[in-house]
Amino acid sequence: MRLYEFEASGLLIRKGIPVPRNAVVTSPQQAREKAGEIGLPVMLKAQVLTGGRGLAGAVQAAESLDQVERIAERLLTSSVRGLPVQRVMVAKKVDVDKELYLGVTIDEYSGSPVAIVSSHGGVSVNQIVKEWPESVAMQPVSVGKGLSLAEARKMCREVSIEGHEVTQVASMLTALYRVFESYDCLVAEVNPLARTTQGKYLALDAKLEIDDSSLYRHTDLNLDLESRIGNPRERKAREIGVTYVELDGDIGLIASGAGLGMATVDIIKQKMRPANFLETGGAITAELLYNAMDLVMQKEGLRAVFINIYGGINPIHEGAKGVAKYMKEHNVSIPVVAKALGNRQEETWEIFREHGVHVITDISTEKAIEYLAGLLEATT
Amino acid sequence: MSILLNRQTKVLVQGITGKIGQSQTRWMLEYGTHIVAGVTPGKGGQSVEGIPVYDTVAEAVAEHGAEASVLFVPPQAVKEAAIQAIDAGIKLIVVITEHVPVHDVMEIREYATDSGVQIVGPTSPGIISPGEAKMGIMPGNMFKPGRIGLVSRSGTLCYEVSANLSGAGFGQSTVVGIGADPVVLTNVPEVLRLFEEDPDTDLVVLVGEIGGVLEEVAADYIKRSMTKPVVAYIAGLTAPHEKRMGHAGAIIQGDGRGTAQSKISALQEAGVQVAQFPAEVVKLVQKRLASS
Repeated sequence: MRLYEFEASGLLIRKGIPVPRNAVVTSPQQAREKAGEIGLPVMLKAQVLTGGRGLAGAVQAAESLDQVERIAERLLTSSVRGLPVQRVMVAKKVDVDKELYLGVTIDEYSGSPVAIVSSHGGVSVNQIVKEWPESVAMQPVSVGKGLSLAEARKMCREVSIEGHEVTQVASMLTALYRVFESYDCLVAEVNPLARTTQGKYLALDAKLEIDDSSLYRHTDLNLDLESRIGNPRERKAREIGVTYVELDGDIGLIASGAGLGMATVDIIKQKMRPANFLETGGAITAELLYNAMDLVMQKEGLRAVFINIYGGINPIHEGAKGVAKYMKEHNVSIPVVAKALGNRQEETWEIFREHGVHVITDISTEKAIEYLAGLLEATT
Repeated sequence: MSILLNRQTKVLVQGITGKIGQSQTRWMLEYGTHIVAGVTPGKGGQSVEGIPVYDTVAEAVAEHGAEASVLFVPPQAVKEAAIQAIDAGIKLIVVITEHVPVHDVMEIREYATDSGVQIVGPTSPGIISPGEAKMGIMPGNMFKPGRIGLVSRSGTLCYEVSANLSGAGFGQSTVVGIGADPVVLTNVPEVLRLFEEDPDTDLVVLVGEIGGVLEEVAADYIKRSMTKPVVAYIAGLTAPHEKRMGHAGAIIQGDGRGTAQSKISALQEAGVQVAQFPAEVVKLVQKRLASS
């Protein structure tokens, strides 16, 4: 889960990385009031979960309180890359002498954290690597030992950070590693880390993404996951415990795994257009498949639903009962085709058939989709 | 014959008293798996499907000589359970649990380094040596004994591809689901090496999906070290490429890697034939076996 800048800033402060004095506001009047307290000039920053806010005009400087109010008004009624702005951060504007980059992320293949420092900052790390490759140092980190100050100092010296700057930047990098470690981050970035004209170091923007699977141990952060998902059906999916991605077609899909779901989307796309990707993982119950049917069927203009599930960990005969209940209660008039194989498959087929679901007993998804396409052709 | 697991392997089930642990123990026993004991802290002395339950892995190893362990414990208990199994000298660990925090996975991985343990998962469907034994949740009726080795990131796709192969008369020596999480404890090249060394495997099928660089690394390995033919299938050809780990992750993985196209090109360059759809794997296997 990606954090808003104001949430990320709060976590940086907890681990010893200073940020400019700031407040989060939801109205132009409040912006004016807070800017008065913080002291002009200030930066007004729309709080939206997307990068490139500067280029999108979502970060602006204000010199007077009237200007603060005007800009806040405009930002709070705007959208950035399709995301409506609900909050604006008012932050003390600082005079920047130099910008750097700090990051910690995971090298998935080797399965270890990697710390990154660059003596360039303020633009995307991809651009930094492309334009100034010699300014970037990367270091794998032992999860058991963490990132030591000595390692961080060595990284700084590799990219020509010199003198007493080494100690300051290295200690910020170890602090960022502690953020990464303490809050189960997938990625933690400070970009830019600014050196002010007074020689102080401040994080001017922060990006943190927390591993969704770890949220149970961070309930004290009061992070509200659902509110971050824009599409209402994708939000609903989160609530019922499935992964749902809306696509632009008209064939609904329920699959019992991500790989199978992606493969099925690939196969449907040969001749038709999938309406969604939905995967249940290993948690199928009658209720879950009832809810999944309900979710998929909410999309308008649906022509058919295809259910592709395996009974490994999943009790598919239970799942079938949920689909059956939905079919009965909602008088579903479009074709529903199911391929369900594995443990207790015969029992599952029986339940489906009794409730008007077309059952495919062939093992290949290609054949099942061919059958579905045939059904649709015959009815049109 | 098979890799990693056969009907003699003495298997332990961690989390045996949970709902899933119980039902999966029944399926595994029915399939022929030699389950010797179960472990659930605080439930020692009970039994599940006639299998004695212990409080700790160490006791189960001392009493029954358990060599391998399959984990059905909740996500928050996986790290402790895996470390306990490693400490007790278990040589093969399979983590079925989904939604294990990735930082825990990294810790387990670091802990397991140099301990000589083969640890598979998390979010793994398990390991099955058809006709011999299975550790995990794979539905047994999708598999048949034979001479194809199969390694897959996705659980459900390994069922789909295996079922297609079985239906066409191509049985499997062993099927290994390494798990679909961003960080896994055993990577594809390690499994490829085991199949390369296994005298009873003639050809290997690799089932991958978009995201990460596993298939690209596997392609390097195949090019360098494999003599047996490999056939692959990659799911998600038409899915939009999503940079799961954000920008910082993308620079580690390298520009342009991780997409379906990059995986397919890398594999083809290593002499691997890549199927576009699951059932096409059967045709490619047929062709490769006929020509070798």
